[in-house]
Amino acid sequence: MTGRAGTGPGTNDRLLVEARDVRREYRLKGDLIEAVRGISLEVRGGDFLAIVGPSGSGKSTLLHLLGAVDSPTSGTVFLDGSDVTAMSDPERARFRLEHVGLVFQRFHLLPMLTALENVELPMAEAGLGRRERERRAKDLLGRVGLGDRMRHRPGEISGGQRQRVAVARALANRPALLLADEPTGELDQKTSAEMLQLFTSLNKDGTAIVVATHDLELAAGAQRRLTLVDGKIHE
Amino acid sequence: MLIFRYSARELLRHPVRSLLAVLGVAVACAMLLDMLMLGGGLNASFRSLLTSAGYELRVSPAGTLPFDTGATIADAGRVQRSLEADTAVAGVAPVLGSNLLVEGGEAERLFVLGVTPAEQGIYRLITGRDPDAGSIVIGRELAREGLAIGDTLALRAPGSFADAGRRTVRYRVAGIADFLYASSGERSAALDLPALAELTDQPDRASLMMVRLAEGEDPEGVAASLRALHPDLEIASVGQLVETAARRLSYFRQLAAILGTVSLIVTTLLIGTIMAISINDRYGTIAALRAIGISRRSIVAAFLVESLLLCVAAAALGLGLGLLVAGQLERILSDFPGLPEAIRFFVFEPDRLAWAAAGVLLAGVGAALVPAIRAMNAPIAATLHREEP
Repeated sequence: MTGRAGTGPGTNDRLLVEARDVRREYRLKGDLIEAVRGISLEVRGGDFLAIVGPSGSGKSTLLHLLGAVDSPTSGTVFLDGSDVTAMSDPERARFRLEHVGLVFQRFHLLPMLTALENVELPMAEAGLGRRERERRAKDLLGRVGLGDRMRHRPGEISGGQRQRVAVARALANRPALLLADEPTGELDQKTSAEMLQLFTSLNKDGTAIVVATHDLELAAGAQRRLTLVDGKIHE
Repeated sequence: MLIFRYSARELLRHPVRSLLAVLGVAVACAMLLDMLMLGGGLNASFRSLLTSAGYELRVSPAGTLPFDTGATIADAGRVQRSLEADTAVAGVAPVLGSNLLVEGGEAERLFVLGVTPAEQGIYRLITGRDPDAGSIVIGRELAREGLAIGDTLALRAPGSFADAGRRTVRYRVAGIADFLYASSGERSAALDLPALAELTDQPDRASLMMVRLAEGEDPEGVAASLRALHPDLEIASVGQLVETAARRLSYFRQLAAILGTVSLIVTTLLIGTIMAISINDRYGTIAALRAIGISRRSIVAAFLVESLLLCVAAAALGLGLGLLVAGQLERILSDFPGLPEAIRFFVFEPDRLAWAAAGVLLAGVGAALVPAIRAMNAPIAATLHREEP
């Protein structure tokens, strides 16, 4: 099965993700689970792709494979021209740090760090100096509408604001690709709509976005939808 | 540095948990320090005491340690001259020890040492002068009881019923001194050696001879050569006496080793448990951090810093506590009957402080490694699947 994400207005056509016949199997209590079954997919710079499908259809697994978080049982994944399936674990970690932004349903912000420090974290890992980190983190938080919440900790801001901090963190090292796994799963309808606006705006600015979601409104806002059923692309 | 800031703040997120861990490890650290001080302290203190007066060898009756029994060296004058004839020997101080009765009111016992004032390593004068044929030097305990220089002390040797008529001799107090080997609260005094020998009817006898060596002489070598000349006597260097004492007191070292090990095990278990709980709570966050590209090394370092911070706080508290407890224990043990007051069970040395701190830090960091590595080896995607609804 092959999917091709469309390109948006004003975007580049650079091939960011190329998945070839990717399969992911794992064992659960002795049973062999085929989470992703032979998917081939391309994502280009400026794409905004929504992966939809019922629970257990393999959306998150596919997203993890596309982001080099997980390794396929077979098949290859090229990210920005590099075969991430051939990389060692530390190489993949470094690659994710520099080339992929990840957003999770439960935000996974560090509760004892401020919004600013949470955004700085990936930049610190990448070796950026304190001043440059702080400047970029402030800029990113301003872009996601949290210029006045920089010194707040995650526990002191709303769920929608936390997810915005998580998006800012994902963009910290200026990745060309942003992957979001159920980014509106913990948000109400209004905040979900704001999140879609944010993704659309980021996409317009040139960031390719792939979202795994149950949220039909969010999926409808994407340029292209890919439906997964039982680990396969459903045409 | 950001990840380390995270570590420090993470500890503050659970203040009660962190405080309890610090207190628990502090107690273990205090025990470790005390055991390190006890383990080597007694030996070091004993050696320091024996060498404090500058005599490197001790000569006592065969089969005994100095003042271990009431046995005496016969023909003491000849033995002294023989020892002094050795070129390695710079001086010999014979000592005769005896319990005497103090006259007046209820007869009380007083341990009196007969010395040759010109060559002795038994006491240090605080005030007054050395004893002569008619005078006596008393210890602090007798001075505390009210005796002063110029007062008179009537003494007689204890004996059987038949000897009850033994004469009583009055001595004028000539000086007050610290008796180096006296136990806590012991009433000590020193007489001129011939005076004590006459009073106790022990002519030409000595309980002990302290031998001072010429500079550069090897105490063990000289002791061996003198032993060959006097096979009927026990001749030991300070080092050999310390070894003998160490053998006799080896249970202190064993106790210290066992309790020290227990304190390290407690530290390991405490930190290991706290860190395991803390890390298990954060499996999802750890997986997410790894997913966004934070390296295993950075995350493990953050956990080790957390553990290290706990241990540093605990060590700072524990070392202070250990010194406090050692002081209290020292006060209790210093009343141990028959033990010289100058002996210290808990000897403070900076390296013991450093060893205790290092032991706790290493045990703590080592304990955090296991749960940290376990968390690092958890598969990212599977953990995220589990953690995300």
